[in-house]
Amino acid sequence: MWLPLLGMLLGFAVGVLAGWEIPDEYSNYLSIAILAAFDTLIGGWRAHLQRTYDELVFITGFFFNIILATTLTFLGIHLGVDLYLAAVFAFGVRLFQNIAIIRRLWLAEWAERRQNREKS
Amino acid sequence: MLEWKKRLSFVIVAAVFGVMLAVELRTTMPSEERDTRDIWELRADLTKEQQLEQQLLEELEDYEEKLRHYQEKEAAGGGAALEATVAELREEAGLTEVKGSGIVLMIAPFSTADYVGPVTATVSPELLQRLVNELNKYGAREIAIGGERLTNRTAIRDINGITNVGRRPIRLPVEVKAIADDVDKLYSGLAVSPIRDDFIVENLELSISKPKSVIVIPPSTERPDVKYMETASAGKEEK
Repeated sequence: MWLPLLGMLLGFAVGVLAGWEIPDEYSNYLSIAILAAFDTLIGGWRAHLQRTYDELVFITGFFFNIILATTLTFLGIHLGVDLYLAAVFAFGVRLFQNIAIIRRLWLAEWAERRQNREKS
Repeated sequence: MLEWKKRLSFVIVAAVFGVMLAVELRTTMPSEERDTRDIWELRADLTKEQQLEQQLLEELEDYEEKLRHYQEKEAAGGGAALEATVAELREEAGLTEVKGSGIVLMIAPFSTADYVGPVTATVSPELLQRLVNELNKYGAREIAIGGERLTNRTAIRDINGITNVGRRPIRLPVEVKAIADDVDKLYSGLAVSPIRDDFIVENLELSISKPKSVIVIPPSTERPDVKYMETASAGKEEK
C-alpha cells in the first residue's frame, strides 16, 4: 500500500529536482491532465481494494483519460466553449464517488476487525 | 510474480503523476526574480546609490546647520533665522524676482514667402512643454514664458483654443526667458537641440539670443493656496 505513495514521492522529487517548466499557456492542459491522472489513480486504488483491479484497464485508462481531458480542453479553447469543465465535472464526481467507496470499504474492514476482537 | 508486476505498474503510474504534479507546481508558483545584472550595471547602481547617499548627507548637514542656527538665535531672542528661512522658501517657491545670466528666446510666426495657409496665432501647449523640458535639460534654473514665471505649480494648457501659461494667455510673438548657472551650456545645448525644427513644423520660429549677463525674471503672480495650514496666533503659542 505504501509503495505507490513512495513512487509518487519519488516522481515528485524527480520533477522538482529536474527543474522542468512548461510555458504558461500549457499549464491549463497540465492541470486538467493532473485531474484525470488523479482520478485514474484513485479509481485503481478502489479497484484494488474491491479486488477487481485489472492492469490493462488501469494503464490504458490512465493515458486515455489524460489524452481525452487535454483534447477536450484544447477543443474548448479553440471553440470558445469551456469544455474543460466537462472533464472537471466528470472526473470530480468520479473522484468523490471512488473516495467514498474507499472510505466505506475501510469502515467495513474496521468494523469487522472490531467485531472479531470482541468475539475473541 | 503477477502481483509484483501489477504493483510495479501502479507505482510507475503514480510516479508519472508525481512528476506531472511537480511540473505543474513549478509552473504555477511564482519563480523568484533572478539578479542578472552584470558587473557594470552593478557599478552603475552602486554609483547611483552613493550619489543618493551623498545628497542625503548634504541635506542632513544643511538641516543640522539650520537647527543650530535656530537654537543660537532663540537664545538671542530674535526671529531673524526664521525670517531668513521664510525668504529662502519664498525664493524657492518663485515668489521673488530673480536676476541672473541667461538667454532670451523669441517665438514668432514663421512663414516662407509663398506661404498662403492660415497664420498660427498661438503655440501649442505640447510644444511649450517640450521647450520647457529642453530648457530644463540644459540646466535652466528659472524660466518665464511671456512674463509669467514658471513654478512647479504652473499649468501650461489649452483654454478655448488659446494656450495659457498659468492664468496668462499666450499670443505670438512671445518671449521666453531662462536663467541658468551655466549659460554657455544652455546656449550651446539649445543651439544643437532639434527643438527649433519642432517649432518650424508648427509654422513657428524660435530665435535664440546670445547669452546675456543680466536677465530679470518676474515673481510668480499665482498665490499658492494653503489648504491645510493655519496661522498660529501669538496668544495660542504662549499658552
